[in-house]
Amino acid sequence: MAPVLDIVGLDLSIGGRPILKGIDLSVAQGEIHALVGESGSGKSMTALTIMRLLPHGAAASGQLLFNGQDLLAATEPQMCALRGDDIGMVFQEPMTALNPVKTIGEQVAEGIRLHTGASAAEALDRARGMLDRVGLPEKRFALTRYPHELSGGQRQRVVIAIACALNPKLLIADEPTTALDVVLQAQILDLLRELVEEQRMGLVLISHDLGVVADMADRITILKEGAVQEAGKATDVLLERKHPYTARLAEASTHVPQWTNRKAEPGEPLLTVSGLKRDYPGKRTSLFARGEPFRAVDDVSFSIPAGRSVGLVGQSGCGKSTLARLILALDRPTGGTIHFDSIETTGANETTLRRARREMQVVFQDPYGSFDPRWTVEHLICEPLHLLDRQPSRAEQREKALFALEEVGMPADALTRYPHEFSGGQRQRLAIARAIITRPKLVVADEPVSALDVSIRARILDLFAKLNDDLGIAFLFITHDLAVARAITHEVMVMDHGRIVETGPTACVLDHPQSPAAQRLVKASPDLEKALARRLMA
Amino acid sequence: MLTYTLSRLLIVAATLVVASMVVFAVLELVPGDPARLMLGMNATEDAILALRTQMGLDQPVLTRYLDWAGGLLVGDFGRSYTYSVPVIDLVAERVVVSLPLALMALALSTAIALPVGIFSAAGHGRTADTVTMGASQLGVAIPNFWFALLLVYVFAVTLRWVPAGGFPGWQAGLWPALKALILPAIALALPQAAILARVTRSALIETLSEDYIRTARAKGLTAQKVLWTHALRNAMIPVLTILGLQFAFLLAGTIIIENVFTLPGLGRLVFQAINQRDLIVVESVVVLLVATVILVNFLVDLAYAWADPRLRTR
Amino acid sequence: MADSLVAPGHADWRLFLAKARANRSFQAGAAITLVVIAVAALSLFWTPWDVTKFNVPDRLQGPSWAHWFGTDHFGRDILSMVMEGSRNSIAVALVAVGIGMGIGVPLGCWAAAKRGLADEVLMRTSDVIFAFPALLSAVMITAVFGPGAINAIIAIGIFNIPVFARVARGAALSLWPREFILAARASGKHAGRITIEHILPNIANLLLVQGTIQFSLGILAEAGLSYVGLGAQPPATSWGRMLSEAQTMMAIAPQMAIAPGVAIIVTVLGLNLLGDGLRDIFDPRLRRER
Repeated sequence: MAPVLDIVGLDLSIGGRPILKGIDLSVAQGEIHALVGESGSGKSMTALTIMRLLPHGAAASGQLLFNGQDLLAATEPQMCALRGDDIGMVFQEPMTALNPVKTIGEQVAEGIRLHTGASAAEALDRARGMLDRVGLPEKRFALTRYPHELSGGQRQRVVIAIACALNPKLLIADEPTTALDVVLQAQILDLLRELVEEQRMGLVLISHDLGVVADMADRITILKEGAVQEAGKATDVLLERKHPYTARLAEASTHVPQWTNRKAEPGEPLLTVSGLKRDYPGKRTSLFARGEPFRAVDDVSFSIPAGRSVGLVGQSGCGKSTLARLILALDRPTGGTIHFDSIETTGANETTLRRARREMQVVFQDPYGSFDPRWTVEHLICEPLHLLDRQPSRAEQREKALFALEEVGMPADALTRYPHEFSGGQRQRLAIARAIITRPKLVVADEPVSALDVSIRARILDLFAKLNDDLGIAFLFITHDLAVARAITHEVMVMDHGRIVETGPTACVLDHPQSPAAQRLVKASPDLEKALARRLMA
Repeated sequence: MLTYTLSRLLIVAATLVVASMVVFAVLELVPGDPARLMLGMNATEDAILALRTQMGLDQPVLTRYLDWAGGLLVGDFGRSYTYSVPVIDLVAERVVVSLPLALMALALSTAIALPVGIFSAAGHGRTADTVTMGASQLGVAIPNFWFALLLVYVFAVTLRWVPAGGFPGWQAGLWPALKALILPAIALALPQAAILARVTRSALIETLSEDYIRTARAKGLTAQKVLWTHALRNAMIPVLTILGLQFAFLLAGTIIIENVFTLPGLGRLVFQAINQRDLIVVESVVVLLVATVILVNFLVDLAYAWADPRLRTR
Repeated sequence: MADSLVAPGHADWRLFLAKARANRSFQAGAAITLVVIAVAALSLFWTPWDVTKFNVPDRLQGPSWAHWFGTDHFGRDILSMVMEGSRNSIAVALVAVGIGMGIGVPLGCWAAAKRGLADEVLMRTSDVIFAFPALLSAVMITAVFGPGAINAIIAIGIFNIPVFARVARGAALSLWPREFILAARASGKHAGRITIEHILPNIANLLLVQGTIQFSLGILAEAGLSYVGLGAQPPATSWGRMLSEAQTMMAIAPQMAIAPGVAIIVTVLGLNLLGDGLRDIFDPRLRRER
């Protein structure tokens, strides 16, 4: 049978810069075709080329056949007739993909009216059916709701309803679950899979996550720097890993660092948290009243031994980041105590806290937001030296900075440069250099690798392992990604609705989760090897 | 929505109270005796005493403020010393000139600015856009009273199409009255229209780069249709802010423009009052104008809630 | 993209120059502004004619080689008066911007650092001040203290305070949750030090742009105030006063209104172009480009 989408030798350049080089891609009816690659590989641009929604100054050539029609030759009115009717698209960021001033009913019905000429009432009727199909029944999610009244996962369902409302022959999903946590991700992926089966459409699934792809895709195309590296049946490609780039990607996404201390025995308690609570005031319900306060952290107790790496995992909104802030004394708890290195940090003044802060540093998620863009690297990584009792001289500062740079594997000439001159992975190394410059006993790392491509992520995990081996720094590793927790932690704590529901050695918890929250998390987490094993069994 | 309205109302009320206190307090700062200041150097002691009693200057400050503010609430602005009539009568006589002028200018400015801004944004980067934005850049820089002089010279002095100034009063008929207000309204409106057009354009261009615009395009809507059905309403939010601010400027602008065209409005009244040191009139007109600005901003807040459903649930 | 243009060490400055070289609006605005300032400075030492001396026989002349822009009804040289007047306009607007920045920016930064009640009080106070357009403040001040150039400065300055307070607060609020600020807090720095070291340098661009805009608005406002007699008083020369005198001569000597009006327009236009140019150069969306 003829493929729905047949791309041969697609080239694309924007403003004269080549973006795509000779892409071939063919998608059959009812087939899920994964388009995989790291950032800058041209995945999203391929999608926008198919939709013909490219930015100004883009020039595409080659053959782009949809149902036998050459889309590159189609006029704009022809494309308008195809978009939303025969070709649907789902975007990465559900929070901004919907018009905030229109109801969800209106937004789903709009495309239906446009393409079928249905009356407003008929279109709304079909929209109702479609929203029901994607898991937003009218009884609980009235059509008159506005996007801001829905959560991220629910909004993504609305976007899917818009894209699939008219049974498109081709659906393009551009990282549809990257902005969602693993549990929601699994639900959305299930929904997409069901819709593909029901409507027999072709799905182009764009993803950076081999675990997701291994689970979903029939066929796979691997892109790097705008060129196809390998293509074929998903299970074959991912099992055989014939192409070196495929092999590298697969290795990186399941990478486990060399880590001597992995088997080390726990030391003395370094951080002890008991009965910690944090309430946020409730939403204003009327002029003079507030709703129930929201408890972000609820009676949390645990301790981290010196030199230990402890993971904190959970769905988004479970209170992980709030807990991190409380530990770092960047936020004040409503109740409970935190003892760090024999100092009670809860309720302590900044003078007392200085002693604790010196021994406790932080690495954040966003490698772009972690640095003041106006400071040089030397200035930036020396900022925590402010905490030392005796301020080091300029020469001493420089020496410490150079040493820290060497430890994180950055060249000495980085000192005089500015953060925007570095890539994401390099910046994360600089953030780690800043965190270790005072020789702390604990580093709190809040999703330190989730903004990085898999190959870079693997190298950063290696670095964390090395620091634990060499310097004996304890880590509190906050992550939503169980593969990361598995790679770099001794123990994990599972957090759910502000409570810690399960703790134990990493392998035990992740292989045999006991609590429903942990089970949900483990079940939903994409895992390349497990997915492949499952597919082979079937 | 009710909560939002009520909370805004509460803020409006508080702002009004504080603003009236400020006006009252500033005029309390008069060096020396206000009665003497108002009557001038060669007034008799008796006259000064009489005025002091009439102004209630023998009372404590708080009592005087409460009396004055209470009077404002029931429309009693006190008596003008120089005109010997209730201030409210003076104001009522003048407001029928100033208010229509400000409203005409606002309507004119909006009617020009929105289409120009939308047209410019739709053809973003094209020659027409560059030309209109260049013209608006110039428009923003032109002082309205200078523009007014220019208009007077061209249309009143040279062409003699309209009177150079003065106001025949509404009793002279709708058309002669409107004719007297046309040039002032244009002079007020054009510089404001230039600002508004620029804001409309940039708000619209920014909105057009939002993710949901791409979603709408992926539905199959044409670029034109997306602009009208999705972008415009979102872009209205910053436009409303500017519109609210502009009303304050227009109101203040009428004071200047009335002087160019010798229109008997609140602006003229206030300047005469300053010259005659009639503090009661100054105080009343300022409070009235400030209250109008505050109320207009309240209306803008309500319009926000209309434009943006996210505010309604707050 | 522009990253490749940047040499280590002077990143910001080089980047700025590279972008400025490509920005017409900035170049035109900067050139006009420099010329206006130069003319104002020159008038301190020299004007073609002495503007304090009346020369009635030469009154109401059209443009000539001796008097480029003609003479007024007292026979004074209009070009010289425009030069003199520029000083008044620039001084008033500059001091008013200084008042607004000097008071507004610290208040805004303080409110953003403190949040809560301090923030609420500041915002509500600025609501009240926004209800007093500069002209109304000037009317009140004049009614009480009599007319003078100081009135204009105070009235425009007061109105500028909440403008800068709001800009500073808004920008600072968006910076406080950023990770580099959290990192500074984790390094034990207190709010005041973080504001000086991190917040202010990062909002300086925004304040500069706003300062240019307020400067141009200040020029317009000063002209309006002195036009209606609430600003500079004789014998001081100001563009607004020149226009108000020109108005009385409109029927017989319309050219008297041209030069001061054009001077205002050119100055304001220059400042606006400069502000637009700076905004484009500093645009955070361009900065974020990787």
